[in-house]
Amino acid sequence: MAVEEKRQHPGFYAILVMLIIMAVGPILMMFINSFKLDVDIISGTTGLLFMPTIQNYETALCDILPYELDHLDFCALKFGGAFINSLIIALVSTLLTLVIGCMAAYALVRFRFMGRDTASATTLMVRMVPPAVLLVPVFGLWNNEFCIDKASWLGSLIRDNFGGRGDVCLAGTHSGIILIYVAMNLPFVIWILQSFIVQVPRQLEEAARMDGAGPFQVFFKVVLPLIKPGLAAAAIFTFRIAWNEYLLASALSDRDTKTVPILIVNNMSEFNVEWGVIMATGMLLAIPPIIFTLFASRQIITGMTAGAVKG
Amino acid sequence: MFNISKTICGVTAATALLVGQALAGPYDEYQGTTLVVNFPAHPHYDAVRKILPEFTKETGIEVEVDQLPYLKMRERQTLELGQDEGDYDLIAYVVFSKADYVFADQLENLARYFMNPKLSDPSYDADDLIDGYVYNIGFAGGSKGYLEGKTGSLFGIPYGSETSILGYRKDIFEKHGLEVPQTYDEMLDIACKIPELEPGMGGLSSRAASGHHASHAFLLHLAPLGGRVFDDSWNPIVNNEQGVQAANALKTIVDCGPEGAASFGFGEALGSFLAGDTAMFLDTTVVAGQIDDPSKSKVVGKVGWALHPEGTRRGSQTGGFGIGIPKNAEHKEAAFLLMQWLTSKKGDKLVALAGGNPSRFSTHEDADVNAKFPHMATFGEALKYADPDWRPIIPVWGKINADLGTTLSKVLTEDLDVQEALDGVAERTKAVMEEAGYYTWSE
Amino acid sequence: MSTSTSFNRLTPYVFLAPAVIIMALALLYPLGYMMYGSFREWDPSQAMGESTFVGLKNYITLWNDPNFRESTLVTLKFAVSVVTVEMFIGVGLALMLDRNLRGMSLLRTLFILPMMIAPVVVGLIWRYMYHPTLGIFNRGLKGVGLESVDWLGQHALLSVIIADIWQWTPFIFILALAALQSLPRSALEASRIDGATGWQQIIHIKLPLMMPVLIVTCLLRLIDAFKVLEVILVMTEGGPGLSTEILALRISRTATEFRELGVAAAMSNYLLMLLLFITVLMLIYNRIMEHRAAKANRMIEEAH
Repeated sequence: MAVEEKRQHPGFYAILVMLIIMAVGPILMMFINSFKLDVDIISGTTGLLFMPTIQNYETALCDILPYELDHLDFCALKFGGAFINSLIIALVSTLLTLVIGCMAAYALVRFRFMGRDTASATTLMVRMVPPAVLLVPVFGLWNNEFCIDKASWLGSLIRDNFGGRGDVCLAGTHSGIILIYVAMNLPFVIWILQSFIVQVPRQLEEAARMDGAGPFQVFFKVVLPLIKPGLAAAAIFTFRIAWNEYLLASALSDRDTKTVPILIVNNMSEFNVEWGVIMATGMLLAIPPIIFTLFASRQIITGMTAGAVKG
Repeated sequence: MFNISKTICGVTAATALLVGQALAGPYDEYQGTTLVVNFPAHPHYDAVRKILPEFTKETGIEVEVDQLPYLKMRERQTLELGQDEGDYDLIAYVVFSKADYVFADQLENLARYFMNPKLSDPSYDADDLIDGYVYNIGFAGGSKGYLEGKTGSLFGIPYGSETSILGYRKDIFEKHGLEVPQTYDEMLDIACKIPELEPGMGGLSSRAASGHHASHAFLLHLAPLGGRVFDDSWNPIVNNEQGVQAANALKTIVDCGPEGAASFGFGEALGSFLAGDTAMFLDTTVVAGQIDDPSKSKVVGKVGWALHPEGTRRGSQTGGFGIGIPKNAEHKEAAFLLMQWLTSKKGDKLVALAGGNPSRFSTHEDADVNAKFPHMATFGEALKYADPDWRPIIPVWGKINADLGTTLSKVLTEDLDVQEALDGVAERTKAVMEEAGYYTWSE
Repeated sequence: MSTSTSFNRLTPYVFLAPAVIIMALALLYPLGYMMYGSFREWDPSQAMGESTFVGLKNYITLWNDPNFRESTLVTLKFAVSVVTVEMFIGVGLALMLDRNLRGMSLLRTLFILPMMIAPVVVGLIWRYMYHPTLGIFNRGLKGVGLESVDWLGQHALLSVIIADIWQWTPFIFILALAALQSLPRSALEASRIDGATGWQQIIHIKLPLMMPVLIVTCLLRLIDAFKVLEVILVMTEGGPGLSTEILALRISRTATEFRELGVAAAMSNYLLMLLLFITVLMLIYNRIMEHRAAKANRMIEEAH
């Protein structure tokens, strides 16, 4: 193969275009179908000849729209609420994972706790654990063991202020889902951030310390700003997992804390496969990751390659 | 939507106050209560949601609905009912959850409520409820533990009664001069003729996907062909002659069915009938509403209905849901009032008119309902032949059902020998039953 | 001075504490809890304390359960075929496209999309595309006058594998490309001066040098392949028969549908053991390959 040739064979560009179509085509198809009525989808008139409508999106978001919809007798989907739940859970767990992970990574690197090897091994071990394996114990613990008696002062405080019935358990709350997401993501975040923290010159920190900064100040004022790209990569990865995860969320959420993936799986149920609405919900779920990808693909690639390529 | 019902409720509350305490109605005490109910994602319960505002308007009791696909609903209920204090005041459950819930002492016995003069409506007319369904869905502790019997009592009320019915394309049948099948032989014969007469069209669309779909389709044929899953002393006889016949019927139907029939769930099977890709449809009565909905169906007005064909006997399925009150509910009395209202003559008619499946004889004969849904009379007749014992309702059924469903799916897609497959099911079922203690008394 | 040192000595613990606590509470403890639960007969309406100890019964039942064996086999088939195909296509594309093409960065950006969107959404897109009458595949086949294919019925496992390849080949492509671009230029140039052809270069230099990275990539992908659940759940729910019921799906069905938490826990343990075995095996292999790659590198350097 002629590497030194400056002008490339047009065949390569053809391959490139084909690959792009293959990668994006299905997503594009979902995008287009989400603007079609079910009749248009089923009737089989392929292509772009249809009246685009936002009715599917209206159906999906009926619970947070300020106006009444004529085509619905009642609001069945409550997608808006789930969207908000997903946002809360994904954002809070991302933030927590980053702060906690950052501190841990810093301690591991700067205070020479364990070698990077130990951290890598732990990361790999945790990455090895499929969420399905966590399903049984998490279900049991969050529902039965991680509970506060409703008669205790904290329990009654929560019940009085937030309502609900029975003992106060982690299951069915946002915090319950957030806790497991943070735990699942921490090893990876620590691992990624370590490789960035290693590169922060020690002298900078020492200079700050000379000026009288304590370890926390050094960490927040000096180290954090320098590892922003690493933080971005880690943030996207944790957000992605928290935003997309289905299995554990479905085991832990109750009727008020359902996330978007749960709703989508529920709506693929056997009666009434309403493709248009399902595509609209799928599209809404896919939008945040798509935005991240378009604007921060470099960070994502860094995050992906950091582990494997640098060892 | 929410706001509207709130305002309505506020208005009713205000009117009630104006009218004064003198006419203390049965609902007054519970005004302003919010009931949390757990319903399945199912056309009947969609219809129920349409009539709930009416209930709130009349009683001042608000209802928050948590609607889930029914397998999910089951999972959720398992969890909720097991707690000391649960979220749900009223639950809908599928027939075979009855065994589990009653066995685990999680459902209220309804006697306490029907005895209470403050709660029980004298004009309720329980005898009008269709017998087979009351026993099948609401009754526990009778014969075999799940059928009618002197030792049983009532734990729930059928709501959303379904049976199997044969839908056929009038236009296609006329075009080729076909008779509407009365027997299984005729039905299977026509099912395989259709693809020849109408190239590209499948005979009968049935569910067949792995798991409960395949098992359901099989059991649908087993009862009319004279078979049973168990004999009277709980020995599995699913692999006898009738069982093999039923499995072969299912295989024939799938082979002569529309494209991809072996992977059809209920949705796909119905979808293919709605799209006009099949000439017949043998499944639950619940589909009637969608078949007449022009936004979903291409066969509006072309479909006729007939009774589930006869094998050695008539035996259509008894399915659908019942509603009951969990033991750990917060507002049990108000939940009973809702339950009574929904299953009353008035509620049953309202839900029928909204597109649901009525559970009373009177509703099936009602003139208004029949004017709106001409098929209702046929459906009413089908309900009379509904066989409450078409599948066993015992706590271990879920496991047996799953095994049956996956095995049958293998018969359909991997050409596993029918007899061999059913022998395997019978053997594994025997082990499950043994472990569950069903043979304790047969030694 | 002394206060500051003691503070310093404490600082790392303070920094580490939250992470350690959370991971102990929400990862280690649950895993231990699962091990414990796998020896019990335990259904979802019971707390662990109310369940009964049954020893190894759950493990033995599973070992003899043909359905569990079939599930395991399906999982292995799925994981191995998915990873093999993805490695070939991914690495192949990387080798082919490792050149200064315009639009390369665009390709990389768009290529990540399938990995970033939710598996649930990937499942629903593919379920639609495989739809017997509505799907693009059967419409296409009909359009050119061919028989339509019963994708999710007769060829369910293949269909699921194709969907996974669509979603994850880019991962391998991007890692392989990064590995290629970080190869020592000197070695490549040296070989070119020696007159090595493109193919020779790939086989004797590029691939051996990339090997450690490729093995890690392969391992990561293999581990992830055992985790796939949502895509299959949405597309086939494990059917028809057990043809796509991978272990993760079977665990979740056993726990929720069959309501046997003890058995599900035992199954989880089997899966973990299998994964541990594969990981250790690959890591050992990686050590060996790294050693060899270092040797090869040294030989190339020495030769010049």
